[in-house]
Amino acid sequence: MRYSCLLLILLLLTLVAPAGAVQIVVHHSVAKRALTLNVARLVFTMRLLHWPDGTRVRVFVLPDSDPLHQEFAKQSLDLYPRQLRRVWDRHLFSGAGAIPVEVSSVEEMLRRVAETPGAVGYLPDGLAREKVRVVNVE
Amino acid sequence: MLSNRISRYLLPALALMCCRADLVSARGFDGVEVHGFATQGYIKTSANSFFGDSEDGSFEFTELGVNASMDATENIRLSGQLLSRSAGEMYSGTPSIDFALADYTVRSTENDNIGVMVGRIKNPLGLFNETRDVAFTRPGFLVPQVVYYDKVRNLILSADGVAARMASFGEAANVSLYLAAGQTRIDENVEYVYLGNGYDGDFSPNGLSYIGRVLVEKPDNTLRASLSIASTSMDFERGVSDPIGNGNVSLVYGIGSLQYAVNDWTFTSEYMREPIEWQGFAGSPLDGKKATGESYYFQVAWQARSDVELMLRYGEGYADRSDRSGAEIQKATGGALPAHTQYSKIATAGVRWDLTPQVMVRAEYQRHNGTLVLSNRENPIPAATVPDWDMFALSISYRF
Repeated sequence: MRYSCLLLILLLLTLVAPAGAVQIVVHHSVAKRALTLNVARLVFTMRLLHWPDGTRVRVFVLPDSDPLHQEFAKQSLDLYPRQLRRVWDRHLFSGAGAIPVEVSSVEEMLRRVAETPGAVGYLPDGLAREKVRVVNVE
Repeated sequence: MLSNRISRYLLPALALMCCRADLVSARGFDGVEVHGFATQGYIKTSANSFFGDSEDGSFEFTELGVNASMDATENIRLSGQLLSRSAGEMYSGTPSIDFALADYTVRSTENDNIGVMVGRIKNPLGLFNETRDVAFTRPGFLVPQVVYYDKVRNLILSADGVAARMASFGEAANVSLYLAAGQTRIDENVEYVYLGNGYDGDFSPNGLSYIGRVLVEKPDNTLRASLSIASTSMDFERGVSDPIGNGNVSLVYGIGSLQYAVNDWTFTSEYMREPIEWQGFAGSPLDGKKATGESYYFQVAWQARSDVELMLRYGEGYADRSDRSGAEIQKATGGALPAHTQYSKIATAGVRWDLTPQVMVRAEYQRHNGTLVLSNRENPIPAATVPDWDMFALSISYRF
């Protein structure tokens, strides 16, 4: 009985913990309520430049070394941060594509995504987010 | 001609971008992004010269780059990069425009992406040509020399012209197609490689070069496979005192590439083939000559820690696949071109350490058999080169 309780708690923890850690957020002008995994990857590898209504996609990220960025890459995109870096570096140093705007803190991320039409970024769960819209990756 | 136009219009445009930085940054997003990189290398060889007098240890390898990019409109992005590269006798470090282009996105949806580029455009040959001078993006101290010969880098580096890019995105794979036409950049090194020496006369482009690539990528980034090809033709106009006549060299440069990344392991392999034809050059044995260069390498890299990567690579390159041993050339030239100058077989072990996201150091050891990767600009007497030699290289790189 004791073991069953323990197992149940462990099970609940594994179900709840990953889902609540980091979430993709967008500016209120972005109509999207959810992104497929592939579209989320296209957005953050700078290959999707326009939202369906024609607004320019504006991508914001934290530095590679930020734990939240690492969690976001793995959890939301199922990619390593270094895989994203490789794509961005190829764009940056060849002129072949755009790169995301790097912000220095979660607070700046919230502010920039809230005030930039077409913006997309990510925030930790639990942060006040009335100013932005959460989109799920499915 | 096109190059002139680039310097006349695109450079001022880039300069304007920089001047406008303060004006536009107030709007937040539409500011100019400025980034750059710097690498200093040290090379020690047991024999022969690679990037300077490397037998005594050479610091003659420095790369500096700064780039700027901005969104001019919702669909047009401008970007450019200045590059200074010093590499022994071959490259003096004179700053040059690495790329300067306008990129117009015709269409971008969740299913596809279509665009056009105009200006000086980096050629996407193989997995690494576009960013071969940026240490952070290379798979080692240098790009694998048997496929990306440093001695002809400018010839395949970029083209002044136009390019079309198309990509299709799917659940199983993203497929992109790239087609470009433009003028290639030709420097003195090309003479040493294709004519065996430097002359008073000069090469100039004969018409346009064409570049194409098909790239297939898995959306999870585990697999990248590409076929890329460039074809170019150049005319040689002899100088008054040159012992050879006018001529033409035409070549095709094709690379098949495969990269597979799983967890902490990355496996990379590329195969290159380069058919070359010489015409003219009266008074030299080059008239009517045909050869097909061929090379390949395999590399495995292991991310041992988040900041440390270990790498092993083996590669072979041949000046002419119908004379891999070089015996025929040696015989035909009476030993002036020894057999070992016609191939390179290289085993490499290296380590990359990212001290911070901005600072990286590399150490690499290479065991060479053959001297094809050497430039005869740095090793003027082929018969004096040593066939079996070692190279040890160190580099420190910074980016912002």
